[in-house]
Amino acid sequence: MRRDEIIYSIQNLRKRKLRSWLTVLSILIGIAAIFALLSFGVGIQNYVNTLADESGRDKLFIQARGIGAPGTDDNFFLTDEDVNFLSKLKGVDEIIGMYFSGGEIEFDNVRKYYFVSGIDPDKIDFVEETFAVSIIKGRHIKEGDLNKAVLGYNYQLDGKIFKKGIKLGDKISINGNPYEAIGFYDEVGNPQDDANLYITKEAFEQLYPNKKNKFGFIMLSSQNGVIPSELAERIKERLRKFKNQDEGKEDFFVQTFEDALATFTTIINVINGVLVLIALISLVVAFVNIMNTMYTAIIERTKEIGVMKAVGARNSDILFIFMFESGLLGLIGGLAGVIIGYVVASIGGRIAAANGFALLKPEFPIMLIFGCLLFSFLVGAAAGYFPARRASRLKPVDALRYE
Amino acid sequence: MRKSIIKLENVWKTYTMGNVEVNALQGLNLEVKEGEFLAIMGPSGSGKSTAVNMIGCLDVPTKGRILLDAHDISKLGESELAQIRGRKIGFIFQQFNLIPTLTALENVALPIVFQSVDRETRRKRSTELLEIVELGDRMEHKPTELSGGQQQRVAIARALANNPEVILADEPTGNLDSSTGETVMSFLQKLNRKEGKTIILVTHDKNVATHADRIEFLKDGKIIKSLNRKGG
Repeated sequence: MRRDEIIYSIQNLRKRKLRSWLTVLSILIGIAAIFALLSFGVGIQNYVNTLADESGRDKLFIQARGIGAPGTDDNFFLTDEDVNFLSKLKGVDEIIGMYFSGGEIEFDNVRKYYFVSGIDPDKIDFVEETFAVSIIKGRHIKEGDLNKAVLGYNYQLDGKIFKKGIKLGDKISINGNPYEAIGFYDEVGNPQDDANLYITKEAFEQLYPNKKNKFGFIMLSSQNGVIPSELAERIKERLRKFKNQDEGKEDFFVQTFEDALATFTTIINVINGVLVLIALISLVVAFVNIMNTMYTAIIERTKEIGVMKAVGARNSDILFIFMFESGLLGLIGGLAGVIIGYVVASIGGRIAAANGFALLKPEFPIMLIFGCLLFSFLVGAAAGYFPARRASRLKPVDALRYE
Repeated sequence: MRKSIIKLENVWKTYTMGNVEVNALQGLNLEVKEGEFLAIMGPSGSGKSTAVNMIGCLDVPTKGRILLDAHDISKLGESELAQIRGRKIGFIFQQFNLIPTLTALENVALPIVFQSVDRETRRKRSTELLEIVELGDRMEHKPTELSGGQQQRVAIARALANNPEVILADEPTGNLDSSTGETVMSFLQKLNRKEGKTIILVTHDKNVATHADRIEFLKDGKIIKSLNRKGG
C-alpha cells in the first residue's frame, strides 16, 4: 500500500511555502469558473428535459415564415383552412391555430408593449400541457369571455412590469380596450413568456380585425405510436401541396418539439462550451505554475530524495510521492474552486431569477462535484509528472552530495 | 571461520570530468566478514567516499565485482539496488540527513515504509529503536528540535530500522563535539558487540578509528595498509 507515501506527501504539503499556495490559487480560479459554468449547463439541461417530459415529445409546431416573433409579420401566416386540412391528416391528434401579436398594455396610466395571444378556449388544456404552464390564481379563459384576460406570472409582481402588481379583477386595457384580469399563469422562467397575455380567439379577432384567420403558428400533437419527426415530414409535404407551393419555397416550417428543444440546447451548449474552453486556458496556466513549483521543490529537497533512496526508496516510490503531492496541490485548489464556484453560481442563479430568468438555475449533482475534484487532482498530478520523474531518476550518490 | 558479507574484487570507478578521466578507485580489493567492526581511513581524495558508495550499493563500479552475501550486485538496476540497500544496509551520515518535515519516530520508520511492512509492526519497531538509543521521550520531536547528538542517535535508530546486517557509518562523529561523538561511538560499539552487527566506519579521525577491530588505510583508490587490532 502507498498509504505511507500519501501521508508523507500530505506532511510535506503542510510545510509548503507561500509560493505553493499561490499555485493553488491559480488552479482554483480555473476550477471555480468551470464548476460554475457547468452547474448552469446542467441546470438548463435538466430544465429542458423536464420541459420535454412534461409537455410531451409528441408535439409539433408549424410556424409561418417571416421576420421576428411568430405572428408579427403580416405577410406570412397560417389559416383556418390549413388547420382544417391538417386535422384530417393521418397521425394528427389535437390541433390548434394560435394568434399572436404585439399589444399595448395599460395599467395605472403606464403603457407597456408585450405579446397578446388568442386561444380557442376549447383547446386550453392542450395549450397548457404543451407549454407546461398552469393557472396559479383565478381561472382559465372560457368560451364567451370577451373582455377578460389571463396574464403571465410577472404581471402580478410589484415593480416587475408595472410598479404595482395587478390583482384579480383589476382593470387593464389592451390597445385601448378595457379588459379584466381573471387569472395568472405560473412562472415559466423567462421574462418574455412571463409577460404574455392570453385572451379568447374571439376577443383577439375583435381586437385585431386585420389578423383574423392569420395564425402565427399551429400547434399539434401526434397520435400514439406515430413518430413525430416522420409526421413532421409528411405534414411538410402535404401542406406544401395543399398551399400550392414549390419545394424549398414553402412559407412555413414544421418543427417537432424535440427539434425546438435541441436547437435551444445546442445554442446553450455552444455558449457554455466556449466559456468552459476559456476557463480551461486558465488551467493551462495553473498547470505550468504547478510544474514550476514542483521543479523548485525538487531542487530544494534533492538531499531528502537522496536520503530516501539511500534508505530503500525505489524510483517508483519517489515518482509516486512527488506526483501525489503535486496532485494534492491540484486537489486543494479544486476543492477551494468548487466551493467558490458553488457560491458564485448560487449568487448568479439568484440574480438571474430576480431578473426573470428563473430557468437559469444552477444545479450541483454529486458527479459534477467529484468530477471537478478528480479533474483538478489529475491536472495537478499530470503537471507534477516531469518534475517527479526527474526526482525519481536522481542518482542517490549525487543527491546525497547536493548542498 | 566467519562468512564474508561484503567483498570488493578489483573494483574500479572512473569519473569523466570534462575531457579528463579520473580513477577514484583503482583495483580496490576489500573483504568484510560478518560481525566485524571495520574502519576505513584515508586523506581526502583517497577514494574513501567512492568506496563507501560502492559498499553501500549507492553506486555501481565501472569495473570489477561487488559481492553482497555472495550475490553480485555490480550489475543490478537502480530499483533492485534500492531494495537491497533498504534491507541489508543501514546508513549513518556525517550530516545526519534526517528528513526535516518528519518526527523522530517517522524518520526512524522511513526505511520500513519502503519495505511494505504494516503500520503497527513499524510503529512498534521504531519505538523500540528510539528507546534503545535513549530517545524514548523525544519521539514526536522534529529534527530541528533535537541536538546534534540526539539527531545522530535518531539516525542510528533509523539505520537499524530494517534490522540490516551491515551498518555503514560515514564520518558519524564529524559534526559532533568529542564527548557527544564518544557517546555515538559507544552506541556503535555496543551494536557490534551485543547485536553482532557488522559495522563499517569511514573516518579520518584516528581516535574514532580505534573503536574498530581492523583499520584499512586507503590512498589513491587502493588499500595501502591494514591494521588488525584484535586479531581473528
